[in-house]
Amino acid sequence: MTAGPPLLAARGAARTFGHTHALEPVELEVWDGEALALVGPNGAGKSTLLSLLAGALGPSAGQIERRKGVRVGWAPQRPAQYGRLSARENLELFARLEGEHDPGAAAERLLGEFELPGEAAPSANLSVGNRQRLNLALSLLGSPQVLLLDEPTASLDADQRRRLWERTAALRAAGGALVFATQNLEEVDRVADRVAVLHDGRLVFLGSVGEYDRSHVETLSA
Amino acid sequence: MKRVTLLLRKDLLVLRRSPLLLAILIAYPLAIAVLVGLVASYGSSKPRVALVDEDNLPSTLELGGHVFHVDRTIDEVSKNVKLVRLDADEAGRQLRDGRVVAVVTVPPGFVSILRGMVESPELRLELSTGAISSRVEQQVQALVYTLNRQLQRAYIRSNLRYVSLILKGGDGSFIGQPISVLGIEKAQRLLATEPQTPKTRRLLDFLHDGRLALANTDDALRSTAHPIELVREPRRGRTWALSAEVEAYALGLTVTFLALLLAAGSLAAERDENVVGRLSRGLVGFGELVWSKVALAAAVALALGLAIAFAFGIVVEVGGVTGGEPWGRLPLLAVGLLLAGGSLGALGALLGALAKEARSASLVAVLVVMPIVFLG
Repeated sequence: MTAGPPLLAARGAARTFGHTHALEPVELEVWDGEALALVGPNGAGKSTLLSLLAGALGPSAGQIERRKGVRVGWAPQRPAQYGRLSARENLELFARLEGEHDPGAAAERLLGEFELPGEAAPSANLSVGNRQRLNLALSLLGSPQVLLLDEPTASLDADQRRRLWERTAALRAAGGALVFATQNLEEVDRVADRVAVLHDGRLVFLGSVGEYDRSHVETLSA
Repeated sequence: MKRVTLLLRKDLLVLRRSPLLLAILIAYPLAIAVLVGLVASYGSSKPRVALVDEDNLPSTLELGGHVFHVDRTIDEVSKNVKLVRLDADEAGRQLRDGRVVAVVTVPPGFVSILRGMVESPELRLELSTGAISSRVEQQVQALVYTLNRQLQRAYIRSNLRYVSLILKGGDGSFIGQPISVLGIEKAQRLLATEPQTPKTRRLLDFLHDGRLALANTDDALRSTAHPIELVREPRRGRTWALSAEVEAYALGLTVTFLALLLAAGSLAAERDENVVGRLSRGLVGFGELVWSKVALAAAVALALGLAIAFAFGIVVEVGGVTGGEPWGRLPLLAVGLLLAGGSLGALGALLGALAKEARSASLVAVLVVMPIVFLG
């Protein structure tokens, strides 16, 4: 960890949808170079927390703080892209909106890195795996320092998973951070430094992977 | 502004790649416009009216020295209704079935009263209880008015013959009885041969004044019959199918449907595609997103509206139809299309924002557009 403010922080951030409390107030900090895994059962509030950190949703209470100048990339669980545009057109459009200097070059680079088809076929016609790759590629536009990935490997093959983690490792090595939601405990052990466990919209555990493993074993043996 | 332009370009690209959607969005309102046109033309069509002849109208009828061919006269006066001869029972049945909208009955004794030229004979009118009965009554009144005008001419001619008889003298008939009249002119001449006394001079003065007054009876009678004469000018300009009214229907319907549905559907589609979250992370504000939909609706309304106006203009030119000024209105029309498309796009964007998904937004937009179109 470095001195100064965290890259990203949730300060009592909570979210309700109508009368439903999707996320109780959460205190969470994301620091330079770390990988934070969000785990918990379906409906625990992982995606809501990621959306709040990304700025895609506004908190109903509390606030999200971002270190000045820090850029955040976000890949939601359900791909967010225009189905009638091709992968290239999606990348170019969002590159322009992200303010990339050369949107065409950025799109070309990501198409190559994620092995996405460059032809004009609409992205709605892509396979589930390719749509997820495009979703991840879009999150990398604008050179983000923090990546927020919601179950990023769910539809990826083994090779693509490896490449994704290599990419995020490079990001962290450069001082960036990764926050990812997952149901895969192997990925938690292999990638994460810290773990946040959510249950019924409440943050019930926040600690290192070692602490999480010990508490997990204790829970299982209890 | 740059972000709005980027989203607008994206939406136009998406629209270009949805030819079926675009075709439906264009064809549907045009089909509605045609239907409205058909309804409008039906509204101006001739209602079917039964004529029940209980007096056995003759084929010709002489009134005041003028011979009326009854069938030809009926054809001439029934410009706004289609008169069909039926017997009383059949007319009653068809009135109940709705096959005729009114029954006009010529009662027994009609012709003899008419020939007498003293009383006014009556026609009996029975109307259906439908929504158009008041319109039919007006049209039957118009029919009787036209018939009366023809009869007035005959009556005036007949009355003028009596005036002429009073002026010049001679033999004639009145209520079927032969009469012989001395006449003012002969009376003047006779009186002039008599010794001139104050009495005969007063009588001569009276005859002189009476003769002058009766000499102007012709014009006076005609103007009394028609204090105001309505003269219909021959019709000029475009035909009905090309009229500015139909063009306005087509433009109004198409622009309203397109702008409202496009804006509502495309805004809701952003949510369907899960892109709103990605955009709202500081890339595009919600206001900019709405503006892009308003701009989309305005741009498409302008393009399509001008295309329809051009199509009308070309048909008018090729058809050699006079009037209508198809090109003169284009600049003002362009401004109107932009404003209409933009404002309806804003309403559509509101519906799109309120709806949970594109299909719901489109359905709500169709439900909203219907009363707007039919009230408009």
